[in-house]
Amino acid sequence: MNTKMIKILMKKELLDVFRDKKTVIMMLVIPVILYPAIFIGALQVSAAISSRMDERTYKIAVCAEDDNALYHRLLLEKSSASPENMTDVSESNVDDETADESYNLEIINAEKITDYAAALENGEIDAYITGAPNDGKMCYDIYYLSSEANSEHAKGIILKIFEEYAKELTKDKLDALGLDAHAILAPVSFEEKDTASSEQSLGSILGAILPFMLVISLLMGTMYPAIDTTAGERERGTLETMLTLPITNRELIVSKFLTVAAIGIISAFMNILSMGGIAFYMYKLVDMQTDVQALDVTKFLPAIFVGILAVLAFSLLISAATMCVTSFAKSYKEANNYITPLMLVVMLTGYIGFIPDVELTPTMAMMLVANICLLIKNMLVFKIDYMTVAIVLLSNIAYAVFAILFLSRIYDSESILFGDAKSGFQLFERRSNLKKGGVPAMSDVWLVIALTIVLVIYAGSMLQLKFGLAGVLGTQLILLSVPLFLVIYTKKDIVQTYGFKKAGASSYIGGLFLAVGMFLLNIVLSSWMVALFPESAANVTDTFSELMDGNFLFVLFVIAAAPAICEEMLFRGLIFHSMKARYRASTAMVCTAVIFGIYHMSLVKLPATSLLGFILCYAVWMTDSIYPAMMMHFINNAFSVILSMYGDKFANTVFYKDELMLSDILLLAGAGLICLSIGSAILTKTRKENALERKRK
Amino acid sequence: MKNSMTAQQLVKTFTKNEKKNKKTDINAVDGISLSVTAGEIVGILGANGAGKTTLLRMMSKLMKPTSGTVQIKINDTEITDAIEIKRHIGYLSNNTKLYGRFSTRELLQMLAAVYGMEKSQADRKIASICQILSMEEFIDNRIEKLSTGQTQRASISRCLIHDPQIYIFDEPTLGLDILSSAAIIEFMKKERDAGKIILYSTHYMEEAEFLCDRLVLLNHGKIISEGTPDKLKEETGEKSMRDVFSRLVIREEMANEH
Repeated sequence: MNTKMIKILMKKELLDVFRDKKTVIMMLVIPVILYPAIFIGALQVSAAISSRMDERTYKIAVCAEDDNALYHRLLLEKSSASPENMTDVSESNVDDETADESYNLEIINAEKITDYAAALENGEIDAYITGAPNDGKMCYDIYYLSSEANSEHAKGIILKIFEEYAKELTKDKLDALGLDAHAILAPVSFEEKDTASSEQSLGSILGAILPFMLVISLLMGTMYPAIDTTAGERERGTLETMLTLPITNRELIVSKFLTVAAIGIISAFMNILSMGGIAFYMYKLVDMQTDVQALDVTKFLPAIFVGILAVLAFSLLISAATMCVTSFAKSYKEANNYITPLMLVVMLTGYIGFIPDVELTPTMAMMLVANICLLIKNMLVFKIDYMTVAIVLLSNIAYAVFAILFLSRIYDSESILFGDAKSGFQLFERRSNLKKGGVPAMSDVWLVIALTIVLVIYAGSMLQLKFGLAGVLGTQLILLSVPLFLVIYTKKDIVQTYGFKKAGASSYIGGLFLAVGMFLLNIVLSSWMVALFPESAANVTDTFSELMDGNFLFVLFVIAAAPAICEEMLFRGLIFHSMKARYRASTAMVCTAVIFGIYHMSLVKLPATSLLGFILCYAVWMTDSIYPAMMMHFINNAFSVILSMYGDKFANTVFYKDELMLSDILLLAGAGLICLSIGSAILTKTRKENALERKRK
Repeated sequence: MKNSMTAQQLVKTFTKNEKKNKKTDINAVDGISLSVTAGEIVGILGANGAGKTTLLRMMSKLMKPTSGTVQIKINDTEITDAIEIKRHIGYLSNNTKLYGRFSTRELLQMLAAVYGMEKSQADRKIASICQILSMEEFIDNRIEKLSTGQTQRASISRCLIHDPQIYIFDEPTLGLDILSSAAIIEFMKKERDAGKIILYSTHYMEEAEFLCDRLVLLNHGKIISEGTPDKLKEETGEKSMRDVFSRLVIREEMANEH
């Protein structure tokens, strides 16, 4: 790949896109003009509405068996609206704060109306009050229509009056008893003082709107250039011209990707500036009315810096995502249709950032879209944890790189251009067109991996939260069913894809040694990771031991047996066999192991799970069957279950220690490696014998 | 040795969706070998769907052949790499549209940069192309505003910018008026005389007859006859190219039926 060429192509793409009016409007006009216009417009409309509400005269009907006490009280309130009476009322009030407000009320006498409900319904009155004595005191009911803004407002006024009315009555009674009403009604005095700095208050205001707006504006900003440079270029017929040039497919796609990302970034910054301006304006408005500390903008510098990095990382991701979608479209219109679901997904996941109490945990930090929203939100209220920041940024970049590699793989300009275009996914083909047999194509496998992992992240963690252990079973079923659907739909050979082949006794014996060996090594690896990241490790152990609480057989079934079947079928079955059909066995093993590690979504467990994945792959490769690996996976998980449920029985053995000594480590690692070598030797011998036998046949 | 371009046993298989979800494989180009040398115009003739466009796309490395190879020899160097081959080819077809939001000059500047030309060198080249194709009046206008004839001239200028040794034109005169096609034909003649390799396809028999040094007749992805116009006439005993073509195609169809 030639960077100079990419620069030239990018320049061309940028020029082309910038001359498209739609993009420019999306990028400039909306943030710079529309947002402030909408905002100021909304501000004025709401001011107009609230002033109209204040000026309005609310009609209230009263029908109470209290010798017109309330009626008179309300009349008093009405007259209090005039300025001269205000001071009088405030003096007589216990609480003098409410006296600042004035209401325009019209009190209608009960006799005038026959059907209150109907009068309320057709707007003759805004509320009505009934009252009857009960247990020696008056009980009032306030009737109103919550669907009518005026009625709702009237109810609010009435409630306030009632509060004052009740206080007045108390005061009168206390006075009658000769007690100090003020001391009894207000035995203590209190006042609220906000210790949040003005930066924090502004940050929390911004944090509520900025992240979501940013995500949406980035999506909107990249959408049109993504469509224009892919589907648009194809529709206009200039792609074939590009193909006559001495450039590679990858140079073409990378230059397009960088262009889209650059435009996304520009439009995001236009949005930030515009929204920042509005927020500052809003803040100044409040600032002028109330007396708060001066704003120290420099405190926002870390937030701004991380925010910029986040926007950069996210724009890479969102550009890659939109391009993945639009590249399949043959026309502008088709691309628009394809992008709608993407938009919905982005908006919904972005919305997670709005849910109160959702914290940016390390797992959350890997959740697309939501992680960016939460990160910016946290930064704005000065909750800064640079480890999490790194995870969020890196995961965004990693996903983007993955998407672009995926895109440059499937974006074969020839098939896209000359109509030979299959989608590249057999999953989207008509089933009757597919040929029987073989293992799934990698494009389908990647799609299924992505889909499964997303489902496990969202649905799986929901299930787990709600149903605990049974939810884990649900996650396993997702792992089993989604890939199985692919295999069945695309008519693949189930035996070949999953490696459902008989294995001899020696394969199981070899597998047993491997299982013990990898378990011992994993103890060492885990203890290192615990030492490195004590907090995250404690977190993992906590959630794990919470799950372990239950019937031993059920726990064993969910934690050991189900993964041994479901995870093995997906990872060592579908993924490994599909990869092996295309790449070298060693590449397939490493890739499968890493995906298996990532799927567990824990940085602490990553080395251990990847090693586990690798050894299981190795067993499948050597024995040509998935069954020994299933057994090994079961043994490994069963060990863990036993250790965490009956850990106390193993206390102070090497298996269950808070801190491993060097001698322990050497013992475990030595024993582990010996077991692995024995297992490997047995499997190698078996493999050779099998090969000989096959030759003889 | 003269510059040359050679295709060997080119095959392109398309999978075609038919009714009732059945798929059949069709060889759009079915084992064509062809060689063109410098100073020669070779015309590809054939009915619609005979495989002309697919053949030319594979020759110009826009499309990967299902099997077979294309190689070129420039200044006694053999080149097989697709990207390197593209450097020496000027390809023009009805599907190679230009960027409407660019002016011709901007387009040529961009292309020159892609071909690795220096800016001053590119400007000189653009000035000379502008003169050759008399584009002075519209070179700075946006391409979307140009007339059909002007657009075609802009398209040709695109093929000239890197001074290619090989021109591959897919129906360059289709839908043009007499003056515009005459200009293109004149251009091809001049380039041939300058020692370039020219491969082009057309529907117009008379045009092919008086322009081409050699004709290649395609039918169903195969070469059914090849030779100078005179040789083909002699072989069939027909006087006009139109009749030669019909006779050869019909003869081939009959042979296939038996």
